[in-house]
Amino acid sequence: MSLNRKNNRSGTEFWDNRRNKIVSTVGGWKGGEDVVSHGYSLMNELLGKKSYMQMIILNITGRLVDENLAKWFEGNFIGMSYPDSRIWCNQVGAYAGMTRTTVVAATVAGILAADSRAYGGSQTSLLGMRFIQNALKEYMQGKSIEEIVSKVKFRNNKPIIVGYARPVAKDDERIKPHEKMTSNLGFNIGDHLSLAYKISAYLEQSYSLKINIGGYTSAFLSDQGFTPDEVYQIKALVVSSGVTACYLDNYNKPIGAFLPQRCDDISYNGIEPRELP
Amino acid sequence: MTANSKKNSGGFQSKATTSIFYEAPSKNNPYVASTRYLHGYDLFQLIQKRSYVEVLFLLFQAELPTVEQVKIIETIMVACMNPGPRHPAVRAAMNAGVSKSNHEHILPIGLMVLGGAEQGSTEVERAIHFLLENSSNTPEQTAKLLSLKPKTEEGDWRIAPGFGSIYGEIDPQVDELANYLAQLSGTGKNLSWGQQFVESIREQKVGWLISGLVAAVLADLGFGAREAAGMFQLISSPGILAHGLEQTHKPIFAMPLLEDENYVVKSEK
Repeated sequence: MSLNRKNNRSGTEFWDNRRNKIVSTVGGWKGGEDVVSHGYSLMNELLGKKSYMQMIILNITGRLVDENLAKWFEGNFIGMSYPDSRIWCNQVGAYAGMTRTTVVAATVAGILAADSRAYGGSQTSLLGMRFIQNALKEYMQGKSIEEIVSKVKFRNNKPIIVGYARPVAKDDERIKPHEKMTSNLGFNIGDHLSLAYKISAYLEQSYSLKINIGGYTSAFLSDQGFTPDEVYQIKALVVSSGVTACYLDNYNKPIGAFLPQRCDDISYNGIEPRELP
Repeated sequence: MTANSKKNSGGFQSKATTSIFYEAPSKNNPYVASTRYLHGYDLFQLIQKRSYVEVLFLLFQAELPTVEQVKIIETIMVACMNPGPRHPAVRAAMNAGVSKSNHEHILPIGLMVLGGAEQGSTEVERAIHFLLENSSNTPEQTAKLLSLKPKTEEGDWRIAPGFGSIYGEIDPQVDELANYLAQLSGTGKNLSWGQQFVESIREQKVGWLISGLVAAVLADLGFGAREAAGMFQLISSPGILAHGLEQTHKPIFAMPLLEDENYVVKSEK
């Protein structure tokens, strides 16, 4: 094949058509009148009539979800709002309190820290949902759970699956309240969640690992028809409240009061002192 | 000097470990450092005898740079110092500045936008991976394979991370910069590979992007993909900050806010 591909663009027309012009497929503000989000009037159909969580999901997905599903998300957000500054993102908030940043800088920094493939509930949902949605496809095609698990990465002879890293000895305290909430709000156990429980049982028997809240959430929200990207987007702020709390916990304390370190509290394993050439 | 670190019951270390910086405690107060060492060199001696670029290189590479390496780094630092007022990261900082955001937020706002996979630091990281993954192929082979990829119908095309077009053209400034860097002594195989690669794709009106060029140069200097991505943010910071702060001195209406007729909503329930 020739490398000389035909350029199908004509000059700068593409960019000329977009100069000083915004075309939104989301919504917009009509000064003095109203605001529209995905076709809904913010002032007449949403404000005072729908929950803030329904609004968040509408802005992201374009779908006005049922009140109970929004309540489920809100419960999930509560379950991720740990005001404990040992947790990485919250510790970022605490350091921001120590340096007296604004509350917004502290909270944003903490949220950004929790945009992590290891914890935090937002990016981990993306990874967890990709896994369970793919696993269900394979399971429906006839693969066994053992086969599905054998395809993932292993470390120290244990499978690395986002959402199934909980050591058996330590229950995830968030799962039972989530199960209760799911039932109370009238949701059934769907195909993804059912498979997630089976995977957890297999991992528990074979590797002493079991499902954690990430695995549970990923499966439940897959059953509700969300894509992994949508849940990542909806849960972008999921840790924010805990971060803010930990920032405030330290904002009014004396300077340097949060986790002070002596010089030897940092372990140095680098090059010994040497002469500068 | 080395302090031991033990694991707690959860498997976490009791202390953070670094090979970069050693702070020797003063005799009277273990929290106060009497001397600081950067990769073994007394920081105060570095302050007195070495340039910022030399110490920056030392910080990431654990050794002081050669004269040639200093020249290469200074070249890309000057080239990247100001992404310019039309770059999305700078525009974000300018928007924040003109709309009276706190001044200390201006640089972080711009840097967050500069973190992206398009014109940002993630693109630098991906470009290094692309260069490393293709280093055993000839540039011509890689160009031939990539040319089979469907081209985007609209807007600019990215034939590979760090390589593409800017408003439908090869970026002439980056092209010139690449040629200038290529004739400096001390540049390496990634830049050389990239130069041959862009010759193989030139007819399609795609070439180096600044992200790809920075990736190649930093990879040749021994920077890893993550470190190069961060370096790109670091060396792009001055322009983001300067443009953002410039707008803080102006009234809020000093930048455009589009009229309703220029804002078209195409969304439905």
